[in-house]
Amino acid sequence: MGEFEVHRVRFFGLVPAGVRCLACQPRGSRLALARTDGAVEVYNFAANYYQEKVIPGHDARAVESLCWAAGDRLFGAGLGGDITEYDLSRLSAARAADGAGGPIWSMAANGTGTQLAIGCEDGSVKIFQVVPGGIQFERNLDRRKGRVLCLSWHPSDTHIAAGSIDVFRVIDVASGQTVQRIMVNYHVEKVKRECVVWAIALLSRGTVVTADSFGRVQFWDWQQGTLSESHTVSTSAVLSLAVAEKEDSIVVGTSTGATYQLQLLPVKLGGSEKRWVRTKPFQHHSHDVRAVAHSPTALISGGLDAQLVIRPLMEKVQKKGYDAVLRKFTFPHRRLVSCARKARLLLFQFSQHLELWRLGSTKETGKDGEVLPLCRMPEHLVQLKSKGPEHIYCSCVSPCGTWLGYSTTSRFHLYRVRCDGISLRKV
Amino acid sequence: YLLCASGDFVKVYSVATEETLRLMGGHADLVTGIQLNPHNHMQLYSSSLDGSIKLWDFMDGIPIKTFTVGCNLLALYTLASAEDSVFVVIPKKGERDTYQLVSVKLTKGAGQDLEAKELSVVLDGVGASPKQIAFGREGEYVVSVKEVNLQVYFFKRKLLNRFSLRAAKTKGGDNQFSCVACHPTEDCIATGHADGKIRLWRNFHHRKEYTYSTLHWHHDIVMDLAFSVEGTRLLSGGVESVLVQWHNESSCQKDFLPRLGSPIEYITMSSDGALCCTLHTDNRITIINSNLRFSRSIQGLIKSRDVKTGLVVDPRTKALVMNGEPGHLQFYCLQSDQQLFSLDIVQRQYIHEAGLKQSDLVKVAFSAQGTWLATVEEREEVTDPELELKLWFYEEETQSFKLNTRINTPHDNHITDMCFRDMGELEDDSLILVTTGRDCVFKVWVMVEDTDPEGKYAQQSVSWSCDFVGSYHNYQATNCCFSEDGSLLAVSFEETVTVWDSVTWDLKCTFCHPPGNIRNICFGRLTCSKYLIGATDYGFLCCWNLLTCALEWSAHLNVVVLQPDPLSEHIAAVSWLSKESSLFVFKPNEPRPIYIQRNLCKEKILLAAFVPRDEPETTGSEKHLWLRKSQLLFLTDTQELMTLSTKPLEERLTASSKQLAVEESLPVTPFSLLLGKHRRQQSQEDTDLGKLVVHNKHEQASPAVKELLHTPAHVLPSASFLCPIFINSLLISKENKSAEEVADEVEMESEKTEDDSDEERDITEMEQEDTSHIELLGEMTCKLSKSQEKELRKIRKMDYSWISAF
Repeated sequence: MGEFEVHRVRFFGLVPAGVRCLACQPRGSRLALARTDGAVEVYNFAANYYQEKVIPGHDARAVESLCWAAGDRLFGAGLGGDITEYDLSRLSAARAADGAGGPIWSMAANGTGTQLAIGCEDGSVKIFQVVPGGIQFERNLDRRKGRVLCLSWHPSDTHIAAGSIDVFRVIDVASGQTVQRIMVNYHVEKVKRECVVWAIALLSRGTVVTADSFGRVQFWDWQQGTLSESHTVSTSAVLSLAVAEKEDSIVVGTSTGATYQLQLLPVKLGGSEKRWVRTKPFQHHSHDVRAVAHSPTALISGGLDAQLVIRPLMEKVQKKGYDAVLRKFTFPHRRLVSCARKARLLLFQFSQHLELWRLGSTKETGKDGEVLPLCRMPEHLVQLKSKGPEHIYCSCVSPCGTWLGYSTTSRFHLYRVRCDGISLRKV
Repeated sequence: YLLCASGDFVKVYSVATEETLRLMGGHADLVTGIQLNPHNHMQLYSSSLDGSIKLWDFMDGIPIKTFTVGCNLLALYTLASAEDSVFVVIPKKGERDTYQLVSVKLTKGAGQDLEAKELSVVLDGVGASPKQIAFGREGEYVVSVKEVNLQVYFFKRKLLNRFSLRAAKTKGGDNQFSCVACHPTEDCIATGHADGKIRLWRNFHHRKEYTYSTLHWHHDIVMDLAFSVEGTRLLSGGVESVLVQWHNESSCQKDFLPRLGSPIEYITMSSDGALCCTLHTDNRITIINSNLRFSRSIQGLIKSRDVKTGLVVDPRTKALVMNGEPGHLQFYCLQSDQQLFSLDIVQRQYIHEAGLKQSDLVKVAFSAQGTWLATVEEREEVTDPELELKLWFYEEETQSFKLNTRINTPHDNHITDMCFRDMGELEDDSLILVTTGRDCVFKVWVMVEDTDPEGKYAQQSVSWSCDFVGSYHNYQATNCCFSEDGSLLAVSFEETVTVWDSVTWDLKCTFCHPPGNIRNICFGRLTCSKYLIGATDYGFLCCWNLLTCALEWSAHLNVVVLQPDPLSEHIAAVSWLSKESSLFVFKPNEPRPIYIQRNLCKEKILLAAFVPRDEPETTGSEKHLWLRKSQLLFLTDTQELMTLSTKPLEERLTASSKQLAVEESLPVTPFSLLLGKHRRQQSQEDTDLGKLVVHNKHEQASPAVKELLHTPAHVLPSASFLCPIFINSLLISKENKSAEEVADEVEMESEKTEDDSDEERDITEMEQEDTSHIELLGEMTCKLSKSQEKELRKIRKMDYSWISAF
């Protein structure tokens, strides 16, 4: 090993965007992730959770919900009120359709992937048909007051459960009518607080699972309209919920950063009676866990602290290997820093701007591990703001430090840098 | 009833009255487990280290059967589904510290003593504690935990699953199992851990897909767990002295019952779910309602960490006084085996934490009449001990001690001894307290009357202040003692004993017996008051004559405890030599001991005290003459309290096989066991006193009352019928005649009450004369009421006897 001067770069103030939603490809091996800045990332389980694709964010496109439909088509919907289909080969938003119901809070695809349901600010639930080359509005379901925060299809596609504030309802898809409406804040303490149903799941046996802002995970028999079980998993809100495909395990994320697993376990060995039991708590996040997903072998959670955590279920993993390791994606898996070696410059990429810094230098030499005094402090040379709503996808600086380039999804920009800090645009 | 194993005995307590109803003895060693017979709830199995299992009828206290197994039994479990076999934990043959769970087939036989040799091993490598094994729902499986491993064995499928947790202690976590409990109706196992976590295991019939959830409140080891009868509630307890109730296995809903006094050792639920019991390390059972309200407690002698105060007898109540709970003084009544009360001396919140220095009580002394109490507390700091001397005055109105004077830092170093001048009647003005300290001085404290200048509080108040400070050649003062008449004070300074005049505080003379420091000193009493006894480190017991100022005699004896009897001239000395304690009792005027008991016990005896008897023992043989007026008690280093019994073996009431001349009275050793399942079940290490041999006197006085209360209600005649018997028995023997009549009548009427009437007659054969007019009355009524029914007649008759009684 040769001798190195190690620069302690403490001036890259990147604020990573938190994870807003997660979507597992049904029967597939991919996971789509949307961040709060609108960026969408695709991970591949089969390839060791490799970050396959990144679609950079867009100012006008805040993604609230993602879902896979018709095999490998990825749709996103957001508070902009549009449903966007992503072109995964060109890493851009392909087509957008207006939801016509104000901001979209939730979206869910049915079991076969042929229909999308969206929940809107105005309280409507709309069904869109997924057709080749786009989506087509099909019908409006029963509209009630209150924004629809979460949606879930019954596995047989006959019903939709929609959660909103203080209440959730079950809608028959064929008739479009609300067949059950259940108040979730029925026996809560006198404090008049609204109870937000943050997440909902409709299970095949007719159980509705709701996660609400009182920290409860509740199991309802929607046909009877009765509460069958209630688990207070947290003192703060439960924000997200995901059900395993076999419907024997549920993972929930709370606003304290903890995730919990609930399992359907037999009450007696060999007996048929089963009950949901809260089993394992995990505390991997420091902030709200806004999104969880349940793959066959792992619990996946993403939080506002921008971490994506994949926690394998040991009992489901067949052999010890890469699958059995707890993974944490704590930093961006992209090159955000580029270095001009000769000019001793560093280029930092942010979502909307670039920063060019000159590294500090020293004249002293010292032994291993010694901290050398700087004779010249690091210097912030240029801050370059990108134009337009699109976020920067990648950036680079030439080794000599005179050329600087970045690109968005649609455009590429190249700049020339003079040492005294004058920039020059070039197409 | 509450059953609990205590030493070699099984005790039956009444839950309603906290009274010890019965004491069932018969085991030759520690009782390690008791379980109710699942097929007959009036019967109880008990196992013992002596290798036998006994079946009892605990209602009557009769042993029904004895099964000899042959090896040490460490725990006992019964199962309703396992017909005539029980499960015991035995040590594995040929290996140390490994134990196995075996099932024992209890052979059916006619005899009382049976052999049970059919053993079959169920589980290997189990823990020795009875808390570490539990049987699951309807006996389908058995769970055992040890260290970080959990084993589940399913009886039907013959399947053994083992799970283990990570042994590494990460982030302060410690996964060692401490206890286990099984859900009564569901397949759920609760385990307690050394770091205070409770894990609830489910799905454990899968080797891989097992799962558990965690409940965490305790900050230190979870001592015991218990499920409620329905299984909806889980109770846990630990060193925090807080009982935690978890609802529906959720960590958010929990209730607490705090301030239970001392760490919880065991928890059991009654089978009807109405009560639960916690057993504490300080030798107490607490009974708690199902709504987590404290109901009552059964308190024995508190085992404190260190009895620093010594055994002191309260002259007023004749109770034994020593350290109780931390910072408290306990008053313990020997006769009733009950704590009379506990006096908070330190008056500070006790915080349980290892390594935290706490103020504790180190010395206590009573004045002769018991009106003054002096206590010394200190905070253990290595360099600078924080000392406080408190003087308490006994208030008649409140019947308790009230703090009078508080003296901060009475000495600069540890206080080694303290005594009052006993002056009998002269009391108040002559009351003097002497303290000796390691700061080389002894101090004399006297009462001063401070009259309040303001007329409002005209009454005189009294406080204590220092009067005299004495020292001798800058040696550390170790012991002090007043002579019987209070005129002389003896203070020992390392190797030397100094004698001071208590009026002028002049040094009278010194005694010395080098080499070795003086360990104990005491004056002789009554006829021997001219002698001063001292014991030294080097194993000498010396007797000095105060008149001649010369050594009278000395003996080579390693005396640990020197205790004079306050009511006679006898002095008891306990020696510790080659791992056994011996007792010598002597009079100071003759060098030959009058009583020697070698090999008193294996433990080192730390303290001894003479407790005056209520009435002098009469039947004592020549040898035990010295025990006539007082009872001698010892406290060993394992905190067992022992007493010497005067009666020969045969006279003992218990039919126990093991009865040494010394009766073990307070085995406070920390074992205790799970109990039966009838109405109240419980486990306990407790106190059984040598009170068996003592008094029945009061009860003899009213056998009628006794019978009345002890006969089952369904065989008793009507209440109106019994009323006169009851009343008569309470009256003095004048009315005996009428009682007899009634008794006869009862006998005629129903044979069931025969017992009662027999008893009645025993007492009524004394006086005849006075009662003639009653007889007359009785006859009259007979004539008058011939046509009437028999019953009516009886009632009439009783009415008259009533009148006559007045």
